[in-house]
Amino acid sequence: MALTPERGSAGGATGGSSGGATGLRDGASGSGALVPSGGPGAVAEPLVVPNTLWRAADPAAYRGGPGGLEHAHLAEVERSGIAHRDDARWGALEVIPTKADLVLDLLRANSLWPLLSGLACCAIEMMSSATSKNDIDRWGMFPFRASPRQADVLIVAGTLTTKMAGPLLRLWEQMPEPKWCVAMGDCTCSGGRYKRSYSTIQGIDRIMPVDVYVPGCPPRPEGLIYGMMKLQQLILERRGRWTERRVGPSVPAGI
Amino acid sequence: MTSDERRTSAPEAPYEIPAHPSADDPRVVLDRELGVFEPVPPYPPRTEREAEFYTLRDGEMLLNMGPQHPSTHGVLRVVLKIRGEQVVDLDPVLGYLHRGVEKLCENADYHQTIAYLDPLEYVSSLFCEWPAVMAFEKLLDVRVPRRAEYIRVLTGELLRVASHALFMGWMALDLGGLTPILWSFIERDEIVEMLASITGQRMLFNYYRIGGVNGDLNHEFMSRLGDWMSRATAQHEANTKLLNENEIFVRRMRGLGVMDRETALRMCWTGPNLRATGVPFDLRRTHPYSVYPELEFDIPTRSEGDCLARYLIRLDEVKQSLRIIDQCLHEMPDGPIMAKLPRLLRPRPGRAFAAVEGPRGEYGIYAISDGTDQPFRLRIHDPSFIHLQSVGLLMPGNLIADTMAVMASLDPIMGGVDK
Amino acid sequence: MDHQLRERLAARLGDRLLGPVRQRHDETEIRIGPGDVPDVLRTLHDEPEFRFRILADLAGVDTGTVMQVVYHLWSDATPDWLRVIVDGLPREDPRCPSVTFLWKGAEWMEREAYDMFGIVFEGNRDLRRIYMPPDYTSFPLRKDFYLPDDAARSPAVGIRHLERTHAPQEAPGGVVRRAKVV
Repeated sequence: MALTPERGSAGGATGGSSGGATGLRDGASGSGALVPSGGPGAVAEPLVVPNTLWRAADPAAYRGGPGGLEHAHLAEVERSGIAHRDDARWGALEVIPTKADLVLDLLRANSLWPLLSGLACCAIEMMSSATSKNDIDRWGMFPFRASPRQADVLIVAGTLTTKMAGPLLRLWEQMPEPKWCVAMGDCTCSGGRYKRSYSTIQGIDRIMPVDVYVPGCPPRPEGLIYGMMKLQQLILERRGRWTERRVGPSVPAGI
Repeated sequence: MTSDERRTSAPEAPYEIPAHPSADDPRVVLDRELGVFEPVPPYPPRTEREAEFYTLRDGEMLLNMGPQHPSTHGVLRVVLKIRGEQVVDLDPVLGYLHRGVEKLCENADYHQTIAYLDPLEYVSSLFCEWPAVMAFEKLLDVRVPRRAEYIRVLTGELLRVASHALFMGWMALDLGGLTPILWSFIERDEIVEMLASITGQRMLFNYYRIGGVNGDLNHEFMSRLGDWMSRATAQHEANTKLLNENEIFVRRMRGLGVMDRETALRMCWTGPNLRATGVPFDLRRTHPYSVYPELEFDIPTRSEGDCLARYLIRLDEVKQSLRIIDQCLHEMPDGPIMAKLPRLLRPRPGRAFAAVEGPRGEYGIYAISDGTDQPFRLRIHDPSFIHLQSVGLLMPGNLIADTMAVMASLDPIMGGVDK
Repeated sequence: MDHQLRERLAARLGDRLLGPVRQRHDETEIRIGPGDVPDVLRTLHDEPEFRFRILADLAGVDTGTVMQVVYHLWSDATPDWLRVIVDGLPREDPRCPSVTFLWKGAEWMEREAYDMFGIVFEGNRDLRRIYMPPDYTSFPLRKDFYLPDDAARSPAVGIRHLERTHAPQEAPGGVVRRAKVV
């Protein structure tokens, strides 16, 4: 899908504006409008500007390794199965029983980093448990990460609606293992006072696996702290559903 | 996550995603399976405004500030049209917290609706119950005892102080300051523990009843209140000084998001946002309700209309609220706290509208009764919903980081926006 | 209860009102037809004797027989709220002129009324769904949209009343709850 240079708006001249991301897409017309000509649901073809400006010094660079881009590193990790065992033994230590597993669990339990996923009223109580009076920084849980890639535990605080279910599921899938889910508040445990509503999910365990339920409307910060301590116990004793889930990044098959 | 842990019944994708050039791209597979995401931009555009917004000119791009983002207002998705770092236009997408409260209230008794209305503006939930009980009292022609009115004003103003404290914390948090939010939550925790000693709940109080309030004041409340009041003014001074003398804070907010009087009235603004543009409209004075005519307090008004004015006006309001709390404590009459009403309420058929001045603006309830024990229609008017419309007016020309500042200065709470 | 307001309304708008001006407590209520909306609201907004500059609320109502749009206005010339009820919108195809030419802030309130009831506001530049997902096909607050509560009719679901002294409600599909107040 090379762009002919006569359009003059993309290509080498405007290398600073990140190649073809000027937003000018064309179906059949060059009007500059974003609406493609394929009817409802049609997606415009992406603008791919070929790299004619320079060449890398090393021909193997930017190719993704000896096999090129067809063999991504992630696929190799998945295939080797190293991510399927959740223990702390590597290399020569594999045959030696070790207490490193306990250390691994202690590390995980004592620095659970929650994802900022406050949806509604329970989010205020979650924030209240994170601030000075009820300080969960004592247990290492202060850094509320904004990105799911860096978070351990998803505390779903607030009512989940059908419109939000998709994004929340996407967030859950983006979190790398090991990950845990805490359902905070009545709305996430069972639907709560919105059990009869047409637009809420009656309990998040309908769409994602939950490890700890913290009931209340909203639960007091002490209640959430109790729930998090239960989660720590779960981790230390290797109890619960998370041990059966595959450890490692959630990689779809075929990658 | 194994496939058996997914939902077993994924909804059909509402649109057909044509195959990407590399057909086994997992992103396409996931989208097709989940099928719950609407494409940005929507094809084809459904309205004039959508066509105008989603038409990109040279140098513009769309950036999605999705429903999960670190700004703590809740689940709001904002589609930004940016040219470089400057925001050209803005389209908020709501509905991620729509719980169907108005429909649920039609199936509930009048008393049960109060519990449904609490989680709308969860930070100031007494102000969500108040217009509802006022509207129902109008339908039933009930007079509320004076002591109950004073308790309502007292608890309401306490909650206003707590809400404005949280506003200050979030305002600073959205601009990057991490200390003021901790101070705000300390303040809020004290007030909310006070209210918990009379209502039993820290947040969704469910305290006001049709004809009065649920429980009388008790010793624990009065002792906590006395303690807090002795420190409140000094604490408020400290909170104010923390941010007002911070040059970065002030320079970032001054002149940002300026709104003038006429446009504010056309956009149906109310509350501190409107008073920051110079219109002295406060329902406690312009359309008095409860015992506010007997209380002495001023209405702070500023005329600049920028984010700094909206921030400073809320701090001034806290001082006025402290005055009101003081007067309530001194003039609290004795007497019953609930009017005598039958257990099963059947108001006469009719309509009633009531509005109160909450920390964000005018909270209104329009109730229609058809003579049965369930309201026929309960319409909730929420100020955050109205104010969020105007973000698109205030943003053009500013940077992406200023989006958060402008939105925080309007003080929206998504529970109320989405109902 | 402002009696002078009632007289001024009757004098100025008398021929467009579908009924007398009603007053109760601190609210004054008038009813108009959908065709009169732009003129009446512009009169109420612009005329110096009325000056209803503040739109407090815009609601949609489904009475079971007709749809209504209800505006609540406030003015500094009178201590009353003014309620303007636009009556007589048919339930199959409710259309009402938009007031976004007077108050731009009514745009989202009209979007909400469209989303919840299906009332089409002519002149609103942005009439799309605001709460429900854009591919949603029903209008939730209409009286023929049944929650699982109403639809199930089993004694185990729904909100149990303390005392049920009136007759039990009929099966869904036939009865749409009609208001005694019109």
